[in-house]
Amino acid sequence: MITILQWTTLAICGLVALARIPSAVRGENRSLFYIFALMTLAILLSIEAPYVAIDQALGGVNLTNLLLRFVIFGAIYFVGVRITKGFGAANAYRLITGRTGMLALAALSALVVVVYLLMDTAGSSAGLVTVSGKDPRNGLLVEYYGAAGRAYPAFVSLVLFPAMVRAARSRLPLLVRIAAGLLAVGGLSIALTLFFPVVPPELGSLEFMVNYTAVLCFVIGLALIWAARIRQDKRAGSGTSFTEK
Amino acid sequence: MTLPAKAFQRWLHGIAPDASTADVCRVSGIKRTTLAQQLVRGKVSVSTVVSISRAYNINPVAALAGFDSYRILAGPPQPPTRCELVSQISTADLLRAALARPAMDPVGRRGAAPPALSPVPHASSVKNWVDAIDDGEVRHRVSAATGIAPQNYSAQLTANRLSPELAVATSVAAGVGPAGGLVATGLVTEEEAGWAPGARQEALDSMSDGDLTALVGDRMQALGKVLRRQEQDQAQTEKIWENLG
Repeated sequence: MITILQWTTLAICGLVALARIPSAVRGENRSLFYIFALMTLAILLSIEAPYVAIDQALGGVNLTNLLLRFVIFGAIYFVGVRITKGFGAANAYRLITGRTGMLALAALSALVVVVYLLMDTAGSSAGLVTVSGKDPRNGLLVEYYGAAGRAYPAFVSLVLFPAMVRAARSRLPLLVRIAAGLLAVGGLSIALTLFFPVVPPELGSLEFMVNYTAVLCFVIGLALIWAARIRQDKRAGSGTSFTEK
Repeated sequence: MTLPAKAFQRWLHGIAPDASTADVCRVSGIKRTTLAQQLVRGKVSVSTVVSISRAYNINPVAALAGFDSYRILAGPPQPPTRCELVSQISTADLLRAALARPAMDPVGRRGAAPPALSPVPHASSVKNWVDAIDDGEVRHRVSAATGIAPQNYSAQLTANRLSPELAVATSVAAGVGPAGGLVATGLVTEEEAGWAPGARQEALDSMSDGDLTALVGDRMQALGKVLRRQEQDQAQTEKIWENLG
């Protein structure tokens, strides 16, 4: 079940990234392509088989996991910037790109790196399962490491949330409103990841569901906005010539 | 909202005893699937009855009066008030009429005689109609009588819509002819509701220069608000395309 969810998410994300290539070549909103590409990479790195393969190539000390954290940070940062700009959420934009946001990004990045260095990271394993099982000290460090890694995405998505709810209830085109609703659900899911430490171990699959729901909501939401634009352009295109643009 | 399918079948049998559903659809221009679906659900829309009445040369208002929930429409048509008539003249027509009045231009350059009034309903006909018959309490009375929440009622007016049931309830609450709302919503024509031909033009001609000019001013102000809101929505959508499209 989880494997299907993982590979489906990877496929959807990869396809959207591929579909964005032509417009990225034309220079239209390249950062959107980067967002999809980073998300695809992040999903790839969160699946056991590709993770182990890549990590073995990088020395087998779970450096890939650290890389994954920064890929996620990068993706969520760009998502935050583009969405707040697009939806005209000036306050949220300032929170993410201003001093607060930058401080949060720097502090949490530093924390992730420091905790990583404190761990005995030998032995590739996605989610650092083997590292966590080595001894109580490493187990605790993995918890801190995970919490720091989830904190920044949760911060950005909580900042986005009010603007998305507002957009979903506005008079914008229907597809855009649905997209905003999906982005709000995705943001809420990411915020929920903060509660993972208190989730009992037997509900571990729940954590996977929440993670992939979040990614899927973001990818599909962003793709819907793009689709809405294509639809709009087609409609406008039937009445006006292209030279008017 | 809708009419019970049983009552509809009885009515249909009364006007076209030998016609099959397919025949009825063909002459009235209703899609067969649409009618079939309405019959299956047991809820036939009012506009279906209107279309079929017209196809069989029956006055749709009289036809509706045969159904329990629209019994109030029975009897000789009640003539519309002057306010109602004027409310069904489009803003552009009012503006042209005002410009053609000598009082508008002291220099004595009279505008050309305005063209014939454009047909009912116009772009803000529903809202203007309710405003015209509203003594300040009509909305409360409608909401008390039908149970609709005031904000839902307002939302329908803003969208220039009103369900037939509410249109009739509004007429009754305001004490005007019961079919007036059906004209304003475009469900039936002026003629079908028993409005005299040329009544709107007469009502317009009987308005004093001052009244007409003040009304045009109000209408223009409302139109300006609507246009400005549309422009804001458009600008917001453009911004989303620009950043996320």
